Amino acid sequence: MRGGVAVTAALLLGGATLSMAQEGVSVSAPMVKGALPVDDPNAAVWSSAKPATFPMSPQVHWPNRIQEVTVKDLSVRALHDGTQVAILLEYADPSQDPDDAAALQFMVGDKKAHFAHGQPMAQVEGGPVNIWYWKNKDDKGVDMNAQGFGTLKIQSHQDVKAKAAYANGTWKVVFSRPLSTEHAAEDTQIVPGGFINISFAVWDGRKDGAGDIVEKGSQKAVSSWWYFRAEAPPDYSAYYYAAFAAALALGFQFVLIRKLKKGQTA
Amino acid sequence: MGGSLLKPAILIGIVYVILKFVVPNIPGSAPLPSSLIFLYLMLTTTGIVIFATLSSASKDAFWNPIQRFMTGENIGGLQAVRYAVLIVFPLFIGYQAYGSTATSDAPPAENRTIHPAPPGEYTGLSNPVSKTPENIMQGKGFYAAFCSPCHGGKFDGKGPAARGFNPPPANFSDPTTIAMLQESYLFWRIKKGGVGLPIEGMPWKSAMPRWELELPDEWIWKIILGEYDGAHQSPRTWE
Repeated sequence: MRGGVAVTAALLLGGATLSMAQEGVSVSAPMVKGALPVDDPNAAVWSSAKPATFPMSPQVHWPNRIQEVTVKDLSVRALHDGTQVAILLEYADPSQDPDDAAALQFMVGDKKAHFAHGQPMAQVEGGPVNIWYWKNKDDKGVDMNAQGFGTLKIQSHQDVKAKAAYANGTWKVVFSRPLSTEHAAEDTQIVPGGFINISFAVWDGRKDGAGDIVEKGSQKAVSSWWYFRAEAPPDYSAYYYAAFAAALALGFQFVLIRKLKKGQTA
Repeated sequence: MGGSLLKPAILIGIVYVILKFVVPNIPGSAPLPSSLIFLYLMLTTTGIVIFATLSSASKDAFWNPIQRFMTGENIGGLQAVRYAVLIVFPLFIGYQAYGSTATSDAPPAENRTIHPAPPGEYTGLSNPVSKTPENIMQGKGFYAAFCSPCHGGKFDGKGPAARGFNPPPANFSDPTTIAMLQESYLFWRIKKGGVGLPIEGMPWKSAMPRWELELPDEWIWKIILGEYDGAHQSPRTWE
């Protein structure tokens, strides 16, 4: 009976952590064998990654602001193969436009960076951000850096790839890059097992009645900082420790009972 | 058998119920962390063992049933319970070992201070704008234009632009936000924005604009009047 209680408790605890992961605090990239689907947003292997959904807000932090945006939620999946990482964004956009665009943002190095392009902070020394950008009409990845407003710069070394597909009112955009690069001062470095910060931006490139693009530049949908982790290879050591501890406890019981029995007969 | 063990078991149960369910409901109290409850229960158990082993007669009365249960001699129907305990105890120890060595899937915990201390120059400033109906109305107008997209038309932090932001925009109608703060503090937060926070406030996460770049001080003071009035709160005072 007590065993039943313990098992139920374990199941409840396990269930609680599962539901937390789905709420969208962290994107977890499982390690897969074989080639990553860097050119195929519809590849079947994407289903082996659990999606995390993140709410989006209009960018109101600095001018030019925007009060309403098309994309309200973003679903994110990721995979890695030990050398490369691939991140798939999925979001609803009623129209396919040449200026539709999406981006990922990461912190670079040890210093914290403000989620608005690494804007300088008054009391904290911040670091730069690394931005991976995709625009429909170019359909390629652009690797950029920024540290404050108006400092967005395309890197001289481009490591990011992007490929997108549009169907049934939904964009699927795949970004990919080697987990680590030789440019640690500009590129985010992804170490399997470690959590890093990630944030997202989306532009609906449709035009209004006057022919102006509605979402462009700082007028975009943005997210806060969340977490990203490339999963480390499976580590079974905790099971070994558990088995060892249980065996010790069992041995302790055995010795104790033997001793008690001897004491009684003596 | 077991009568001498029943009382200690009941005592431990009572102590647990008091710590877990009674103490948190005492006005001004709070739920105790489970580690603290565990510590108190260990102390209670230690006390019981010391008390029970004071004389050799009471010691035998205390230990004999335990010994009989452990060795399984003449315990009749309790034999099944004994086997259950002998199986569950090693499993429980194994489960504990697993819990303390397994790598966590949870992202790092964040301890953000919601209302960190303001810089010295922003303490004790009084609102230079007088609290007239006109100024309050003007403040509410500025609030509607600049603040309500996030902080909400109802001052509840639920504006249309709020949903994506973490931490969420402050809910001014909540008595733990502006009602706990002085006008001077609000002036600092509006003027310097999220990026003006000290490190314990995690400035890199806040979407609050640095309004000093866009609004004159007088407008900010009027917004403060409008916020308190609209949220039906009063600034904290020290008298």
